[in-house]
Amino acid sequence: MKKLLLLLLPFAVGSLYAQENDTIQKKDYGKVYGGFESNAQWYLNDKGRDLRHPEDPIRSNNYLLVNYQLKGFSAGVKVESYEPNSLLNYNPGFKGTDLGTYYAAYKTSKLELTAGYFYEQFGSGMLLRAWEDRALGINTALRGGRIVYRPSDNVRLTALYGRQRSGFGVANGDIYGFDSDINLSSLLKFEVSDLSFGASYVGRYEKIDLPDPAFKAMTNMTALRFNFIHDAFYVSGEYNYKDEDGVLTPQNTLTNDFVKPGNAVLVNFGYSKSGLGIDATLRRMENMKILTERTPTPTADLQSTSLNFNDKVLNFTPALTKQHHSNLANIYVFQAQSKVDYIDPTIMKAGETGGQIDVFYDFAKGTAVGGKYGTKVAVNMSSWYNLPGQYRSVPADYNTDFFGVGEKYFSDYNIEIKKRFSETWLTGFYYINQYYNKRWLEGGDLVKTNIVTGEATYNFSENKSIRVEAEHMWADADKKNWAGGTVELNINDKYSFYVWDIYNYGNDDSSQQTHYYNVGGAYRVGATRIAANYGRQRGGLVCVGGVCRFVPESTGFTLSISTAF
Amino acid sequence: MLIKFPNMKKLVVLFLFLSVSMYAQKEMPSVSIKSVDNKSFNVKSDFAEKDKLYVFSFWATWCVPCINELDAINENYAKWSKELNMEVVAVSIDDTRTQKRVKPLLNGKKWPYTVLLDTNQDLKRALSVANVPYTVVVKNKKIVYIHNGYSQGGEKELYNKLKSL
Repeated sequence: MKKLLLLLLPFAVGSLYAQENDTIQKKDYGKVYGGFESNAQWYLNDKGRDLRHPEDPIRSNNYLLVNYQLKGFSAGVKVESYEPNSLLNYNPGFKGTDLGTYYAAYKTSKLELTAGYFYEQFGSGMLLRAWEDRALGINTALRGGRIVYRPSDNVRLTALYGRQRSGFGVANGDIYGFDSDINLSSLLKFEVSDLSFGASYVGRYEKIDLPDPAFKAMTNMTALRFNFIHDAFYVSGEYNYKDEDGVLTPQNTLTNDFVKPGNAVLVNFGYSKSGLGIDATLRRMENMKILTERTPTPTADLQSTSLNFNDKVLNFTPALTKQHHSNLANIYVFQAQSKVDYIDPTIMKAGETGGQIDVFYDFAKGTAVGGKYGTKVAVNMSSWYNLPGQYRSVPADYNTDFFGVGEKYFSDYNIEIKKRFSETWLTGFYYINQYYNKRWLEGGDLVKTNIVTGEATYNFSENKSIRVEAEHMWADADKKNWAGGTVELNINDKYSFYVWDIYNYGNDDSSQQTHYYNVGGAYRVGATRIAANYGRQRGGLVCVGGVCRFVPESTGFTLSISTAF
Repeated sequence: MLIKFPNMKKLVVLFLFLSVSMYAQKEMPSVSIKSVDNKSFNVKSDFAEKDKLYVFSFWATWCVPCINELDAINENYAKWSKELNMEVVAVSIDDTRTQKRVKPLLNGKKWPYTVLLDTNQDLKRALSVANVPYTVVVKNKKIVYIHNGYSQGGEKELYNKLKSL
C-alpha cells in the first residue's frame, strides 16, 4: 500500500497541475495550492572505495504540501514520507509516512491568527528561529498558536506559544514568545532616513530533573535591536540575554555546579552606493546555544544525540562567513560556536567572537580595468575566535573578557573577480585562503588552505552555453591537496547536464586518493524540476545557510523532483 | 496531539479528492515582507497596477546562477522597460547568515530592482519554491508564468515569454 501511495504522489500532483488552466472562475470557492518534493537515493556498493550499501539501499524523502485559501482564511497540511527509510544520516525521528505539519490561519489587514504549526524568527534568530530545511533534515516548526497584530504600517507585534516539532512529534519544552518591531521614521518625519526598534522575549519552560536545582524551570530570554539607515549608510545592532541556566557537561548532563547566563551582541554597519558596497559585521556570543529540551536525547544506538541532527534547537545561529559555491571551498566549513563546549582540559570553549567584512566594487564600462563590459570584484574576509578569559575544567567554570580574542577557530580571506570579455565569453576567478582549526572544531589537525578557481562560460548561441571550471586546493594537513574540474552544458532553458570530479590526489594514504566523480542532468519546465545524478558522495559536512549536517561516504543514484501548484 | 493516519487509504482518498477538486486560480498569495530599505510590501496588493507585468525573481547572495540572471536582465532592463510595461522584483531568500550581504552586493551590482527580503521564507513557502533561481510573473494579481533555473541566454527566453503575456 505504501509503495502504491508513493507511485500515486506524482500523478496526483500531475493531475492537479494539468487542470489549472481549464477552469473558469465564477464563484469564489477559494483556491488550492502547494508543492511536492521528492529526494530519492539508490545506494550502491563501491569496490573502489570499499563501501557497502546500507540496509534499505533505496531510500526517499518525500514532502507534499497542500494549502487551501478562501479570502482571509487559509489552512494546510504537509504529509511527509520517508520510505522505505530516510536518506542516510537523517534525524532518526523521520521514519515512515505521516502527517508532518498542519495549520489553520485567518488574516485581515491588521491581524493574523495561526493555530497549528508555524515558522517564526525574532530579529536575527539568536533567541528564536523555528524553521525548515529539507536538505538538512531540520523542521523545528512550533506547534501551538500565534497572533500577529499590525495596528499600522509601522508596528508589528507578535505573541506565540508552542512546542517545537521533533520527528513526527513535538519536544517537551514549552516555548512562549513575544516580539515587537516598531518603525519610527514617519513619527519622526524622516524623509531620507529610516529608524526602527525591536524588542523580544522568549521563555522556555521545562521541568528540571535535579534535586534542589540551582536554576529555574522557566528560562527567560530577552533581546533589543535597532536598525538605522541614512542615505548610503546603515547600521544595526542587537543584544540578547539569556538568564542563568544549567550548562551541559561533556557527558550531556546537567549539574547544579555549572550554571551560567548567556549573551550575544551583533553589530552590522556599512556604506553602499552605486558601484560600491562595504559591509562589516561583528558578533560575540557566549553560552547561547538554546535547546528546547535542556538535555539532548541519545539515539537508539547511543552513538549520537539529537544535537547531532540539529534537533530540538530553539535558535539556529549560522556562521557569518561567505558561502562558497566551489566544491573544494566547501570541505572546511566553519559552524558558529554558540555552545559552551568542554572537550578536554586543553580545549574549553564558551562561545565565539569575531567578524566579517565584505567589499563589492564594480569597475565601470569603458574604464581601464572595466573594459568594454565592466569588471566586478568582491572581497570577503572573516575571522572567528574563542572568547578570551580564564577557563577551568574541574570543577568546570569560566570567566570571559568582553573584548579581545581567544584561540583562533577559523578565518577565510577571499577575492572574486568576474569579467565579461565579449557577448559570448564570461569568466570568473576566485582565490580563497582558509584557516581551519580542526582540532578545536571537530578533532584532528589544524589545516591551512589556499584555493584557486577559474571558470569560463561560452555561449554557442542565444541559449546554448558551456561552462568549464577548474579548481585546486593546497592544504598543509588532514587530507592535503585536491584538484577538481566541472563541465556544465546548458542546451536551453529546459535541459542542462554536468560532469564533475574532485580528486584527493595529495592524500598521504594512497588508498584514500579517491576520485569523487559525479554526472547528472536536470529538466526544468514551469515550476517543475527533475534532476538525476550518479556519483560518489564525499563524507563530511553538507551545509545550508551555515548550518551543517554530517553525511557518510556513499555512491549511487539520486533522483530529485520538485514542483508547485 | 498529532493526528495519526491509521492507514494509507485516507491519504489516497485525500489525493483523489485534491485531483478532482483542483481548479487553481493561481492568484498571488497575500504575504507581507520587507524591502531592503525596511519598507513593508504586500506582494499581492502592492504590485497590482493594471496590466503591468511583475517579474518576481527569487535569488540569494550565494546563488551564482541567480546573480548571473539578475545581471543579465539588468543589462537589458532599460530596453525592456521601454518596450514593455514591466518591473522586476528581486526576492532574496537569504537567511540570517547571508542577509547582511544583500545590501552591499546590490549596489556593487547597480541593480535597479525593488529588492524584498523573505527572511522567514513566508513567500517562498507560500509558492512552494524548492530551488532558486525561480521566476514568477504576475499580471493583474494572477500568476501567469513560472520558470525555475537559469542558464545563460535564459533572459532572452524570458523576454520573449513576457512579450506574449
